[in-house]
Amino acid sequence: MNRRNLLKIAALGSIPGALWSARSALAQSQSAIQFACPVPMSGPFAANGKYADLGMKLALEEYGEALGRPLAYTLLDTEGKPATAVRKVQEVAQQKGAKFWAGGILSSGSLAMAKEAEKANAVYITTAGADEITGKDCNRATFRWSVPTFGAIEQTVRPLLQERPEAKRWYTITPQYVFGEGLLSAAKAIFEEKGIEHVGNSYHSLNEKEFSGYLTNAMAAKPDVLLILNFGSQSSDTLRQAVSFGMKQNCTILLAWASGLEQFESLGADLCEGVYFGAQYWHGIDTPLNEELVRLTQSKLKMNPNYSLAGSYICTRIMVDAIIKANSDDPAKVIAQMEGMKYEGLTGAEEIRKEDHQVLKNYYLLKGKKKADMKDKDDYATIVHSGQSFLSVAESGCKM
Amino acid sequence: MNVYLLQIVNGVGVGMLYFLLAVGLSIIFGLLRFVNFAHGAFYLLGAYFCFQAIQWELSFWVALVVVPLVVGVCAWGVEKLMLRYVYTQAHEFHILITVGLALVVQEIVIVIWGPLGDNVTAPDALQGVVMWGSFIYPKYRLFVIGFTAVFAVLLWYVLEGTRLGSAVRAGSESTEMVSLLGINVFRVFSLVFALGAATAALAGVLAAPIRGVEPFMGIEALGIAFVIVVVGGMGSFSGALVGGLLIGIVQSVMSTLWPEGARLMIYVAMAAVLLLRPHGLLGRG
Repeated sequence: MNRRNLLKIAALGSIPGALWSARSALAQSQSAIQFACPVPMSGPFAANGKYADLGMKLALEEYGEALGRPLAYTLLDTEGKPATAVRKVQEVAQQKGAKFWAGGILSSGSLAMAKEAEKANAVYITTAGADEITGKDCNRATFRWSVPTFGAIEQTVRPLLQERPEAKRWYTITPQYVFGEGLLSAAKAIFEEKGIEHVGNSYHSLNEKEFSGYLTNAMAAKPDVLLILNFGSQSSDTLRQAVSFGMKQNCTILLAWASGLEQFESLGADLCEGVYFGAQYWHGIDTPLNEELVRLTQSKLKMNPNYSLAGSYICTRIMVDAIIKANSDDPAKVIAQMEGMKYEGLTGAEEIRKEDHQVLKNYYLLKGKKKADMKDKDDYATIVHSGQSFLSVAESGCKM
Repeated sequence: MNVYLLQIVNGVGVGMLYFLLAVGLSIIFGLLRFVNFAHGAFYLLGAYFCFQAIQWELSFWVALVVVPLVVGVCAWGVEKLMLRYVYTQAHEFHILITVGLALVVQEIVIVIWGPLGDNVTAPDALQGVVMWGSFIYPKYRLFVIGFTAVFAVLLWYVLEGTRLGSAVRAGSESTEMVSLLGINVFRVFSLVFALGAATAALAGVLAAPIRGVEPFMGIEALGIAFVIVVVGGMGSFSGALVGGLLIGIVQSVMSTLWPEGARLMIYVAMAAVLLLRPHGLLGRG
């Protein structure tokens, strides 16, 4: 079964959900430790939510129990809306006593849930990108596994400059909201430092689907590198249209924040060949825990893990490990264990920085492979660089 | 070439696709006075049927001809079984039933093809770009401009030069009068609805290699189609063409002048037209 078929079954499947609910109910009756997975299960980001659900389910099934108590979780459909997300986590915290939340995906919803986590005396860990989550809006209840925008740019633009030192003219396409501004400002700082000519930038709205106008601007500026700073389906649309305009032949294309394997799958190998992608996670990472996760998903789900699944899986693991170390499910004690925690994660040695609750982990630069060079159906890219870059706590603006 | 000239050429390309998307909606409203919120769903089906045809290793050219026909037949069936029973009801009923239909189609697409998007490759002959000095433009987009222009002429002929077209135009003026002349108005309604849906599906087929396919593309398309119909004038063929081109060019040129507001300017243009010409550029009062 491939990933797509799996999702089709998930879309059809009220039965597995009902079974899990029944199991959850049983677990609750045995005073289970309650988790929540607040993710979009409907709307444009539903696919990410469905994979995140699988990630939490896999992690909890793997542990089975902690502190001699079963582990249960409730899936919450945030619909990708901050208000819905807040209402659902409030309900699950009050009605089921769920104090351990992993999810969010979109920055707006994650920021809203982070505030709610603090009020509800819960523990919340997310994979959303906005710098504010572990920056000026940080709080004691909230943690973030993914690398924020600064690190994503540092670990993609700098290595590409090393690989292509002759590329002196860069053009950027940026969504005009906090995430895009963060990426753009980090990129501009590197351009200034390295003497790169920033030959233009096109901002666009969050609803944009037609990028030919922006690409016409970009082509007129004759850049050496087209740096795409949007996310999800918008970055797929931008890349697809840039390739149709022949930009792959005339310049190097870097998509700084790719959404992972599912994006490669939807774009196809021919389109991705030779394009550079920044990524939080890749199933080909050579670490013991990642190899274990790949084996697990292949045996249980007949697929390789993608970013949404892997992010939810590792976030859940972090919380369960902290509960076990704390020998308590008291959120305050679990938070104390998570602060400064060092562990072998999916990307190798990972550490949760105590002062801002940011996980210090690698970010990856991938390069799309030729279809003929792919060893299997998911072998879309080679990892050409990996590394860590994080703003210091003082620079991030986090004050707890 | 000057970047603004490039943007105008690009805007024509975008606008021709917008015209194709909107003309069916406009014709359906013109004749049936029916507000069809399921129009985007037919566009969605066109794109996904094209994707499926290519998955089955059928040629894109086959999809270009067959898919609009298949979607047209589906729409004909839907009109016969459901929609004709609400023609005489208030517009609220039209909206209710067609929004429901659009949601059902969208969910069926998710169940069959999954929630993730997919890529559709342009035919080999149309891969690559045309270069003329500093003018670089994808061959496929040039094909879309040419094909849509030819299709527009054919559609204009059907509406202006054939018996069916006469019935459609007369029906849009007075349904009762056309009935009295012995024309089966309900059959004309069915045909027009099927034709409108088929043009939306054709737009979906042509858009698929440019934008790929994803289950929520119908909603976005519907929004654009309504803007064009309002700008051009409800029920006007030439209005849809002028409206489509205007919106395409405004969006494209604004990508240079004020990139972050390019999308917004589509709606500003619509508001300006509504203020200056409440019935649209070529609509009748």
